[in-house]
Amino acid sequence: MSTVVTTTAPKDTPDKEVGMHRIIGWVLHNVVWIWLVALILGFGMFNEFFLTVLNMQNITVQATVLGMLGLAVALPLLVAEIDLSIPANLGFSSAIGALAYSDWGLPWFPAMLIGIAVATLVGFFNGLCITKLRMVSLIQTLSMMIILQGALLALTQGKTLTNLSDGYVWIGQATTIGGWPLMPLILLVALALIGVLLRMTILGRSIYAVGGNPLASNSAGIRVDRVKIITYTIAGFLAGVAGFLLASWQMAITSNQGSSYLLYAIAAPIIGGVSVFGGRGNVVGILGGVLLLTVIQVGLAITNVPSFYVGMIGGFMIFIAVAIDAVRVRYFA
Amino acid sequence: MAIQTATPPSTGTVSASGDQADIALRIENVSKAYGAFYALRSVSLNIRRGSIHGLLGENGAGKSTLVGIISGQRTPSSGEIFLNGKPIVGADVRAMEEAGVFLVTQEPMIIDHLSAAENLMLGIWPSKGGFVRWRTLKADAARMLTGSGIDPNVNAGRLNAVARRKLNILRAMFSGGKVIILDEPTAALTVPDRSQLFDFMRALKNDGVTFIFISHYNDEILEICDAVSVLRDGSLAGGSKDIAAMTSGQLSELVLGRDLVLFQRARRSFADEPVAIRLRNVAAKHVKLEELDIRRGEIVGFTGLPGAGAKELAKTIFGLNGTATGSVSLAGNEGEPLPDHPQAAFDRGIAYLSDDRRKDGVVGHLSIAENIALSSLERRATFGFVQGSAESSLCKTYFNSMGIKAPNAGAVVNTLSGGNQQKVCLGRVLATEPKLLILDEPTRGIDVGVKQDVLRIIDALSKTGVSIIIVSTDTDELVRAVDRVCVFRDGTIHETIIGDDITTERLRRAPSKPETVR
Repeated sequence: MSTVVTTTAPKDTPDKEVGMHRIIGWVLHNVVWIWLVALILGFGMFNEFFLTVLNMQNITVQATVLGMLGLAVALPLLVAEIDLSIPANLGFSSAIGALAYSDWGLPWFPAMLIGIAVATLVGFFNGLCITKLRMVSLIQTLSMMIILQGALLALTQGKTLTNLSDGYVWIGQATTIGGWPLMPLILLVALALIGVLLRMTILGRSIYAVGGNPLASNSAGIRVDRVKIITYTIAGFLAGVAGFLLASWQMAITSNQGSSYLLYAIAAPIIGGVSVFGGRGNVVGILGGVLLLTVIQVGLAITNVPSFYVGMIGGFMIFIAVAIDAVRVRYFA
Repeated sequence: MAIQTATPPSTGTVSASGDQADIALRIENVSKAYGAFYALRSVSLNIRRGSIHGLLGENGAGKSTLVGIISGQRTPSSGEIFLNGKPIVGADVRAMEEAGVFLVTQEPMIIDHLSAAENLMLGIWPSKGGFVRWRTLKADAARMLTGSGIDPNVNAGRLNAVARRKLNILRAMFSGGKVIILDEPTAALTVPDRSQLFDFMRALKNDGVTFIFISHYNDEILEICDAVSVLRDGSLAGGSKDIAAMTSGQLSELVLGRDLVLFQRARRSFADEPVAIRLRNVAAKHVKLEELDIRRGEIVGFTGLPGAGAKELAKTIFGLNGTATGSVSLAGNEGEPLPDHPQAAFDRGIAYLSDDRRKDGVVGHLSIAENIALSSLERRATFGFVQGSAESSLCKTYFNSMGIKAPNAGAVVNTLSGGNQQKVCLGRVLATEPKLLILDEPTRGIDVGVKQDVLRIIDALSKTGVSIIIVSTDTDELVRAVDRVCVFRDGTIHETIIGDDITTERLRRAPSKPETVR
C-alpha cells in the first residue's frame, strides 16, 4: 500500500521531520556503500576467512575486470544509449592479441596493443552505426555481441588459448607492497581518469548534457553524434584493456571468455546510480556497484552456501540493492 | 485507494451551513514548504459550484503548486482542502479523480495513433470479463462527442490544437469530472479557436461543471471567468467573487504588486549604421530568400503564419534546417556559406534560442550554472579542460544579470518556472557573445512581468551593437520591441514594415492571405 500522507500535517516539530527526512535521504543516497559494509561484516560473521587480508586482496583482484567493464558499460549509458557487446569485445580482442603473439610471432607487447586497438575499433564502429546509420543501440550492440562471441569461438576453434608470453601474464600476477596485487591499481587509475574526464573536460560535460537532452545539446552547439562516437570508442578501449587484464590474470583465454560478465557488467553501474535514461551517474557510484557485486560473489563462494543456491541468493541481493535505489529516486531524488 | 474523510479537527467549525452548500472546493490555509522555501503560504480559496474560477499569477507565484495540491499530485505541508464540504485526507491523483477533480495540463495527454473515441475512453474502457466492449465504447464516445465537432473515428494525431484540448476536457468530464482544472488551455490557440473553446466551456458550465482556469492573459480571465483569485509569491494577493467588478489594470496590479510599466523600445533610424549581417540567396526547406541586410544594433522581427518561412529561415541561419545553400556574411567575413551545425554558427557569432525550451532549450537535470556554460565551454577551456574559475565567474555574471529567481546557480533547472528557464537559456546564448542573436518566440508562455524583463535585456543588448532577430507571432511583442518587421509568406519576405508603421492593426492585417494550415 502506498504511504498515506495526511493533508493536515502536525504543526509541531517540522524541523525534526525535515531533519529525519534528510537523514533517510542521506542513508538511501549512500545505500550502496552502507549495503557493502553490511555485507562485508555479515559474510565476516559467517566465515572468519572472509575478513582476512588475503581475501580482501582476492576481492580487489576480482573487482578489477568487472570494474573496467562496468566503466565501459557506464559510458554509453551516460549518453542514454547502451552497449551490450562490451564483454564479448573483451573476449574477442584478447584472443586477437594472444594470437598475434602465438601465431603471427609478434612480441607480446605490440600484440597486446593490437588486441586493445581491435577492441577500440569495435567500439568506434558501434558508435558509427548508432549515430550515422541511426541503428538502435540495444539491437545493434546485441548483434555485435553475438558476432563477436561467434568470432571468438571461430578463432579458438573451441579450444582454450594458453600460449601466452611471460610478459603478457606478468601484470595479472604481480604484487606490490604487502603482497597486494597490482591489477586493482589499474582500475583505480582508470576510475580516476574517467572521473576527471567526466567532471573537468568539455567532453565530460557534453556527455552529461547529451544524455540529459540530446536536442537541447545539439542546439547548444554540441556535436551530439561526435560525442556519442567518442563515448563508444572509449568504452571499446576499456573493454580491450579489461580483456588483456582478464587473460593475464587467468593466464588463459577460453572460447567463451568474458561472456559470463555481461549481466554483472550492466548491473554494476546501474546499482551504482548510473541512470539507464542517461545523464546521471559518477565513477564513485560505479566503483560502489562493482565492489558490491564482487563481495556478493566472493562471499557466497566462500561461505558454506550450497552451490545450487548461490545464483539465486546473489540475484536476491542485487534485487534488494536496486529496489532500495528505486525508493531513493522516488522519494529523495 | 479511496478518499478518506477525516474527523473534523477539534477546533473546527466545519459544517455544511447554507452558504457553504454551493461551494464545490474550499481551500483553507494551505501551505507548501520545500525546506525553508515556501511555495505557498496559507492560501485560502472558495470555488463556487458551476462557476469558472480564474487563477492568475506570475510564473513561480505558486499556481502550479496549488493546482498540484488540488489535483492530488502533491501533498500540502499544512492546511486543509474540502470537496463538497468534506475534508480530503491523503488523496493521490487517482483518488482525486475518483472524487471528480481533474487536471487538464498544457500538453494535451493524447495518444496520436489511437482514435478520438479510444483516447476518450483511455483507462476507462467499458469491459466485460477483461475484454473491451468495442460497440459500447464507440456508442458512448459518439454520444459524448456530439456537438463537439470531433469525429470519434478519426486518428487523434490528425486533430487540431483546439480539438485536442476539447477531447481532454471531455475525457475529464466523461470520467466523472465535476471540478476541472485547465492549465493555460489557450496556449498556442488562434483567436477563433479560443472563442470556440470558451463557448464549449460555457456550455459545460451550464451543465454544472466547475472550472479552475489558469491563464497569463487578463483579457481571457475577464472574458470567461465568473470569479478570480490572484497569487503572488506564494500568497493570495487578492481576487474577486464577481469578475465584473475587476478591470485589467487592477488584475495586473494584483499580479505584479505594483503598476506595471510596459516596455517600449525607443525607435530610431538605422540607415547610418553599418550593415552587420548580409544574407544572400538562401534556399532550404520552406525557405527561399534572395537577400536581407541587418544593420548593427538593429532588432528585426520575423513573423508569418506557420510554415511561411519565418521560423524556418531563423533555423537555417543557425544551421538547424538540414542542408541549405546560400551565404551569410558577418562584419568582416564576406560571403561564407551558411553554417551546417549550431557549433559552426556559434563559432561565427550567431546564436539562436529555441521556442520550445523544454524540448531543445535546457538540459533539465543539470544545474543553472552548467546550462549557462554549455554553449561556451570551448572558450573557457585549455586542452579540453574546463577552467573552473572562469566558468563560475561567467555563470555568476549571467545568473545575476538575468535576474534568475533561484536559491543559487547550483539549482537544477527542472525546478525552475518557465520564465526563469527562459532566462537560463538566454544566459547560455549570451555567454557565447554573439554578433547576431536569433530569438524564436522569446516570451512565449512566460508571464507579463518576466516578459518585460526579457524585452529589456534584449533592448540593452542591441545597444551594445548586437543585431537581433526576433521570430514572433505575438503582435504586442513586435510592436513594443522591434525596429523592423519582415512578414513572411511562401518562404520569403512578403512585406516589410518599418519604424512607427509597426502597429497592432497593421500587423493583424499583414498575413492577409491565410494559407491552409494543416
